[in-house]
Amino acid sequence: MTTTAPARVARRLLGPAVFVAALALWQAWAAHKDSFLVPTVTAVAERAWDVWPTSGFIDQVTATLGRFAAGYVLGAAIGVAAGLVLGSSRAARRAFEPLQEFLGSTPAIAIVPAAIVIFGLGDATRVAVIAFAVCFPVLVSTIEGVRAVSPETRDTARMLHVGPAELILRIYAPAALPSIVAGLRVALAIGLIVTVISEFVVGSGDGVGRYILVQRTLYDAPGVYGGILFLGLLGYVLNRLFVVVERRVLSWHYGAAGESAR
Amino acid sequence: MPAAGIHLHARPVLRADEVTKRYSEDGPAALIDVSFEVAEGELLAVVGPSGCGKTTLLRILSGLARPSEGAVLLGGRPVVRPPREVALVFQDYSRSLFPWLTVVRNVMFPLRAADGARADRVVRAEAALAELGLEGVGRKYPWQLSGGMQQRVAIARALVSRPEILLLDEPFASVDALTRVELQDVLLRVHTELEHRLMTIVHVTHDIDEAVYLADRVLVLSPAPGRVVTTVDVKLPRPRAQTATRSSPDFLAVRNEIHDVIAKQQARRSGGE
Amino acid sequence: MRRANLPGWLFVVLVTAVAEAGVRLFELQDSVAAPSAALRALGDGLWSGTLTGEIATTLESYLEGLAVATVVGVALGLAIGSWRMLLDALSVVIEFLRPIPAVALIPVAILFFGLGMPMRRFVVAYAAVWPILIGTLYGALGTDRVLHDVARTSGATRLGTVVRVTLPASLPSIATGIRVSAAVALQVAITAEFFIGTDGIGAYMKHERLSFHLPQLYAAILLTGALGYAINRALRTTERRVVFWVGEAPTEAP
Repeated sequence: MTTTAPARVARRLLGPAVFVAALALWQAWAAHKDSFLVPTVTAVAERAWDVWPTSGFIDQVTATLGRFAAGYVLGAAIGVAAGLVLGSSRAARRAFEPLQEFLGSTPAIAIVPAAIVIFGLGDATRVAVIAFAVCFPVLVSTIEGVRAVSPETRDTARMLHVGPAELILRIYAPAALPSIVAGLRVALAIGLIVTVISEFVVGSGDGVGRYILVQRTLYDAPGVYGGILFLGLLGYVLNRLFVVVERRVLSWHYGAAGESAR
Repeated sequence: MPAAGIHLHARPVLRADEVTKRYSEDGPAALIDVSFEVAEGELLAVVGPSGCGKTTLLRILSGLARPSEGAVLLGGRPVVRPPREVALVFQDYSRSLFPWLTVVRNVMFPLRAADGARADRVVRAEAALAELGLEGVGRKYPWQLSGGMQQRVAIARALVSRPEILLLDEPFASVDALTRVELQDVLLRVHTELEHRLMTIVHVTHDIDEAVYLADRVLVLSPAPGRVVTTVDVKLPRPRAQTATRSSPDFLAVRNEIHDVIAKQQARRSGGE
Repeated sequence: MRRANLPGWLFVVLVTAVAEAGVRLFELQDSVAAPSAALRALGDGLWSGTLTGEIATTLESYLEGLAVATVVGVALGLAIGSWRMLLDALSVVIEFLRPIPAVALIPVAILFFGLGMPMRRFVVAYAAVWPILIGTLYGALGTDRVLHDVARTSGATRLGTVVRVTLPASLPSIATGIRVSAAVALQVAITAEFFIGTDGIGAYMKHERLSFHLPQLYAAILLTGALGYAINRALRTTERRVVFWVGEAPTEAP
């Protein structure tokens, strides 16, 4: 394996170089094909440059982020709360297990029509569906985290006279936090996907998803592709933000895990 | 400085009365008819081969487990759940100390229901840490400290609520030999120097030398199912010292006696099979 | 064979009974289907073949897309995971494409492929390929180098090593990826049908809602949930067998 300095630099540049080459290939092919279906890279970039900074588009982004955040927080709160309780009680877990597994494997899209009937064609439905999709991975990982609390920790809590509510809030919650955060990370991606779905299939409304659909009816291929790319970018940024927050919140865990790995 | 040895008339604070522990109806017993008393201010060591039930016994003494038959009495009252007067130090400090709390917060944890300002609780926690020789580590996390220091933190946490009885479950088994020696002397100081009284301690260990070095009496359990084989008085003078005490002929006599007792038990067990 | 969870199923019965009582007492039939009505509609739909027909349509694009994604994902994942240079070359492209939600491609895919099966196969495959690719890649990268070296020194070819060593060693990770993909793919398949509105269980649900046939709608939801549940269960069982045979899988996805 070559590890000389020039070789390492070359390796680092290979990825970006291939990426740029792929873009160039697309550009050439799109220009050659000259079909409105396949916009050139430059056309997409131009449209993005023009549209993305406008207040109109920013409003769409805010709308999408708003409903995503609402659904995510709601779903996460339910997932964590229910997970802490179910994690602490074997009886409760057993009772809920079939229902939980069934609902957890139901894709959010299947809930949409039922939610529309109950909540209408607006954001209430969208947020409800997003929360539904988000709460199950969080629930599962929270339960796992609580169940993984070591017997020594539980015994210590008993010796320190920790009451039931205190046990869940002051012992189980922090102890399970690494697992909870892992579930929250999975739920982040799921939440964004379901947000897009909710904008596609629930009524008209606004948001980046809506923007894509509208631009499609206007035959604005660069706009459509740009919108899709924006969603990808959004997902990427949210993920990186999550990692930053995770590192701070779980700093004690990384340290402790590092020590015990020795 | 209290006199070495136990006053003959010191009242018993903890008593085990024919404690038997069975894990299933007709399964093997972990403990059978274990009876003994712990006098106030006494340091009682419990030794026995692996699987003899010493940890089970300690769990029953602490209230974490209930005996199948018999009872544990604390000041005359039966122990059914962990009593406020008892503190327990576990072998695995890394799982017993809470990794999401700093050292000082860990030590403060038993005081969370206490009246008074938070600042007072911090002071008490820092004082407990200082008594264990730990200063300036309060704001660190437990895993940032060495094993020996972590166990000291665990002991500090056990002491901060001023328990009457301190139980320790093989507390020095997870540290290296040099640290173990340090911690033994730390425990001796805890025994004698706290608040001008002797702390009542029950110390479970597999290390016979450690038991004899630390204790006033050593309770010897048989291989599983655990029964009390004998209780050996350790009349060595206090304060004890690693080199002087351990090389004294009396020390060797006691530890050899215990070794022989245990060896005979093992032989009887394997001979009888 | 695990003991049946009696308390669990009793709880389901209890919840169903409470829901039934609630819907009737508070006259919620305009918002929610009563369990009895939904179950009756489910029976009718299955018996008449309507529901089975729609589900079969969904399963067609779903399974085909998933199959393509598995083949492509595993092959690419093994290749990228075994050749350092390929990994370096494609890492940026992968990180760029990966966060793009597959559902967002539905409008574009319609433009390219129309409204029929090819379009649905495409979006399902696109959605499903990523978890499988990443899972395979992760498994391949995590394969003990020692196993590799042993294979190579005993005369195996590069390709042979990949197939005989890397692939089996990566199976737990691949299995996890397939399980995740199966869920994502189902979601995408049904969403596409919902969006297009011609056939498949997604379209069926959309129409039943628009026609205000709540029992039929809920019957379709139950069936979809049952399908998701069955797929998940089947894959978990397979995954457990694979892990048992091969050994512990890495627990965290990258």
